[in-house]
Amino acid sequence: MEDTFESSVEQGDGYTVVSVAGEVDVATAPALRERLDETIGQATSVVVVDLRGVTFIDSTALGVLIGALNRFAAEGGAMRLVITEPRIIKIFEITGLTELFDIRSSRQEAIAG
Amino acid sequence: MTDVVELSLPVEADLLVLARLTAATVASRASFDVEEIEDLRLAVDELCIALIQGQGDGRLELRFSRDEDQIEVLGTLRPGPGVPGGGIAGQSDDGLSQRILDALVDEHGHESTDGRSQAWLRKRRARQQA
Repeated sequence: MEDTFESSVEQGDGYTVVSVAGEVDVATAPALRERLDETIGQATSVVVVDLRGVTFIDSTALGVLIGALNRFAAEGGAMRLVITEPRIIKIFEITGLTELFDIRSSRQEAIAG
Repeated sequence: MTDVVELSLPVEADLLVLARLTAATVASRASFDVEEIEDLRLAVDELCIALIQGQGDGRLELRFSRDEDQIEVLGTLRPGPGVPGGGIAGQSDDGLSQRILDALVDEHGHESTDGRSQAWLRKRRARQQA
């Protein structure tokens, strides 16, 4: 089912990509937090959170992303998001989070910085 | 014509998908467009989050009423006998939730009286183009 929450991790040279798909809401946001915590705990300079497969996101999920951004920044790392779905971009815009997050339209662009 | 749909759920985070599904169905029947339907789905989700956070048990009751080109959703939390403060994980940022509701619906509110918590929202369909 395309709305089922899934996440996966891909390690690269100096970067980690966390790919997220499905609905990220109050029920699945804890799983996303756990996945991001595992990633931030590893020594990587760049974390890319690829949200291109996300079909729904709410304030709980946004809070998880903000928390991860803050934790990673405290470790001196960079966290970037990949978003292409206009609906998801809209949620970041109306909450003002396009000012907080570094959002790119492709994975390659997010990795390169 | 007024349609009323009522949904009663236990306070469990993974059942909120049912509230979103009901919102989408009611909005579709009211001829809301795709974007408006998605707006209402998220708004109802945020309304539910505001009511269930920190609740360990109880029931969430949602009443969807459609009147002409407007949908009103009234959510009521009936707490269970459990100890409050536990239960639903995933702390929502109230500021984000408020911004989302401000942007996506025409009116919304939240009040708690006599141990009962209620939240509501209203969304009007954009006028159909002639």
